[in-house]
Amino acid sequence: MSDRLRLNQAAKILLGVWMAGIIVAMFLVVPQYVGLGDAGRIIILHVPTAWITTVAFAVSAVYSIRYLWKRRIADDAGAVAAAEAGFLFCVLATTSGMWFANIVWGTPWNWDPRETTILILLLIYAAYFALRSALDDVERRRRLSAVYNLFAAVTMPFLLFVAPRMAESTLHPNCAFIQGSHCDGIWLEMNGTRVGQLGDVVLALQGIEQHGDLAVVQVEVRMPGLRDVALLTPSFELSSGKPADRPEFPGQQFLLAVEEVDLTNGRALLNMEAPGTGLLSNSRTFWTFMASNIGFLGLFIWLYRLRADVLLLQERLARREVTYGLPA
Amino acid sequence: MDFLLEPAIAIYTALAVALTVWVGIFIFLWRIDSATRELRRRLDEEAPAEPPATPQATLETRNGHARETTVMSDKK
Repeated sequence: MSDRLRLNQAAKILLGVWMAGIIVAMFLVVPQYVGLGDAGRIIILHVPTAWITTVAFAVSAVYSIRYLWKRRIADDAGAVAAAEAGFLFCVLATTSGMWFANIVWGTPWNWDPRETTILILLLIYAAYFALRSALDDVERRRRLSAVYNLFAAVTMPFLLFVAPRMAESTLHPNCAFIQGSHCDGIWLEMNGTRVGQLGDVVLALQGIEQHGDLAVVQVEVRMPGLRDVALLTPSFELSSGKPADRPEFPGQQFLLAVEEVDLTNGRALLNMEAPGTGLLSNSRTFWTFMASNIGFLGLFIWLYRLRADVLLLQERLARREVTYGLPA
Repeated sequence: MDFLLEPAIAIYTALAVALTVWVGIFIFLWRIDSATRELRRRLDEEAPAEPPATPQATLETRNGHARETTVMSDKK
């Protein structure tokens, strides 16, 4: 056994142990979060798989550029293998997100901006595989799919990073989990816009009352599909200028908070908060999360290189069959 | 089997399931990896170590007493 092979084998065993360690840490080391319970542990799986999806599609695009430049079969195999691995990670990110959404948001699919864009990305790459399987001429298939892959890769940053952030409100991390970031919330007025939307929840302002140092806001909340309608009364501490009572949305573990009140004009700034805000500020969660990113990156490298090897071997076997007339 | 889903035990059950799934995936990948390596080795062995002999022809022209030999080959 050569030194290189021995090193490769050792790296794969290390990856196996590393990922097993992450799984153990995900369940036993990462703490529970108030409101999210055990569902908060999903961050160790969901976010790294989503990030590796972007890495995989970017790697695939680089291989496609190399193929168009040098016309080497190995580059085409690399592009397909990386795209397939990226697709797999994208499916993992989506399904793990759906599992989380079902527990925390009450339904597995909310048509949240990020959910919608990741679905579009999945469809774009599914079309890439469909295109490859639709063309019989091998050379043409490689050339056209490489060009298509570049167009697909161009949409990826927009769909994963730009579009979800352009949305006014989303249930996703950029306003719920990552410390320092926030949704802007919505202003509702007694003498103006009384109805607004936070994510897919419709809010209707019913009244604002002052009880001593507290401003109590009465808000009618309608959940998606009108499953639940409830009257919530979040409050705001006037002296400190901070939210006081934050009631839970019916059937969900998100909270409704009043972030500002203008008693003179009868206005209130309402926002949605996730109980797990600041999830990564815990050092145990943070390091497990970072280790998970490294582990999934290693898994992606192993997966796509293995798949590229298999594709190249298939190619060699096909040529062998043509040359010698032997069964593959 | 209901005891596996009791609140105090459920987290360990989930951990065991997740670990089992990972071990299964790892073994699956390892086996494909080994099979791929073995197949590549066999194909490398099967492939001729040297390129096939280049077709050659030897022409001998006799011109009286002199004899001239020319070797023709399409080797570049």
